[in-house]
Amino acid sequence: MNDHARSSSMKLRVENLTKRFGGLQVFQNISFDVEPGRVVGVIGPNGAGKTTLINVICGMLSPSGGKVWLGDTDISGKPFHITSRLGLLRSFQQTNTFRAASVEENLHRARLFSRERPGPEVNLDVLLEEFGLDRHLDDRSDSLPYGQQKMLGLLLALAPKPKFLLLDEPAAGLERKERTRVDRFVQYARDTLGCAAVIVEHDMDLVRRLCPHILVLEAGRLLAEGTPADVLSRQEVMDAYLGADAE
Amino acid sequence: MTPKRVRDFRFDSCGLIVLAPLLAAPFATANPLYFSLTNQIVVGVIASLAVYIMLRMNLLSFTVPTFMAVGGYTAAMISTHGVTNLLVLLAGAFVMPVLIAVPLGVLVLRLKGVYFIFFTFILNEVTQVMLFETPDLTGGSNGISGIPPVTFFGIPLGQQNYLVLVTVITGIVAAAATLAVTQRFRAEFAAIDENETLAESVGVAVWKYRTIGFVASAGVAGLGGFAIVNQLSTAHPSEFTSFSAINYVAYAFVGGKGTMLGSVVGATLLILMSNYFSSQGAYASALFGLLLMSVVMAAPGGIVGEIRQFFEKRSQARRGSAK
Repeated sequence: MNDHARSSSMKLRVENLTKRFGGLQVFQNISFDVEPGRVVGVIGPNGAGKTTLINVICGMLSPSGGKVWLGDTDISGKPFHITSRLGLLRSFQQTNTFRAASVEENLHRARLFSRERPGPEVNLDVLLEEFGLDRHLDDRSDSLPYGQQKMLGLLLALAPKPKFLLLDEPAAGLERKERTRVDRFVQYARDTLGCAAVIVEHDMDLVRRLCPHILVLEAGRLLAEGTPADVLSRQEVMDAYLGADAE
Repeated sequence: MTPKRVRDFRFDSCGLIVLAPLLAAPFATANPLYFSLTNQIVVGVIASLAVYIMLRMNLLSFTVPTFMAVGGYTAAMISTHGVTNLLVLLAGAFVMPVLIAVPLGVLVLRLKGVYFIFFTFILNEVTQVMLFETPDLTGGSNGISGIPPVTFFGIPLGQQNYLVLVTVITGIVAAAATLAVTQRFRAEFAAIDENETLAESVGVAVWKYRTIGFVASAGVAGLGGFAIVNQLSTAHPSEFTSFSAINYVAYAFVGGKGTMLGSVVGATLLILMSNYFSSQGAYASALFGLLLMSVVMAAPGGIVGEIRQFFEKRSQARRGSAK
């Protein structure tokens, strides 16, 4: 089996993942699979443990229990840079770029640090043009408007040729018209690179558009999963978001 | 290379190139004052470069006097055992601090922020105690004196002007080593400096590059220790005090912590002004402090940093108007 075939047959498997900070249980026994090329949404009210879940999956935090598998490789608790090199890349809620570096230097670094991965470089010219970043290649990244910094942050996760993307609120802080860029980004990653994605997001319209399958986290447990139409119509999910009637 | 990396390389190369004319200094004058100033400046530059390497990864380290002591005492011990070849002594002064820095780095680099700074500062006090309390090895409070002059394949370099020449050569070697390390790992160091979390998320093993930087910084500092010991023909704890670390850090910040040239400019300016102010008697320390505060307030990015920023803004404005 060649590298491409092997990577395309890899799936991300989360098994009974648990995270505690001392006596505080953030989430427990979360399990789900992400097939190659699929996009899965994770939704839930603030404090449900969504971002911590991403942090644990990518290795920024060690799990208190459970396993994360990338194909046949157990990546639970592996350092952040190792999971990245294995093809599991993430984006961040806030703008996250190499501040003093130009847009071009940012992308150069992201590619450089993933140089050991086989295959041709990811061509991001199309997305750079669509996001209006092609006119700012020589500009410092911290001089860009918020929305463009945010899109550059997403491209930095794509430049190292990921197999799986973990996107933490990619549309947060973006204007409504800018949010379609996130759609375009995810479509490009999925259709052109065969990349799977887990998207944590509060924008339900975006989740409906991009995610055929969603998970609902509430108070650290998996409340529901399924298609957006099915899950979002369930009473317990509406209760979690809007607050259950005390009676 | 991207334009930014080319610019950074040029500024760093300048830090090496401007040291080259100093090779002529020992032969251009017989004035002991100029010899002394050249010695002080070059040692200051070396020490400041050791600080600079760590600052490239946004780490403020005060370990320089410790590693200078290790390098200086190593060279002194080798010399007193009859090996006086310059190349051997340079190698010894570089390698021994490196060997000590590897395990120390694994331990120290786990610390973050103020804890790291605090530990590195305290380390110098521990080093002082060790130098004083191990007289069989270090000579204790007497230090190691009577160190024979350095030779270069049989040619003794003990005359005053040759001592300066050895210091300048050591400075050039230290600058070349600094340039080699910072250029080889420029992208990684810059990524860690600007956004450590993002760097790790795109595959940079931060701990590894921090260890490389720490080890390289130790080696460069060790060369500075050798330069001091060679000038004085003595290795003594008083040359490697904690307080000197503050001066070395000040050189890097005043010159500009983003480039090697900044270390050279900062060390040169502050050492020259310190010598000038010393003629003002009781006011010397106050004047020096005033100068430090003035430069830091007027040029927060350091002298070279401000100049660089000016040119970068100008070229960005030009690009903007071209669009």
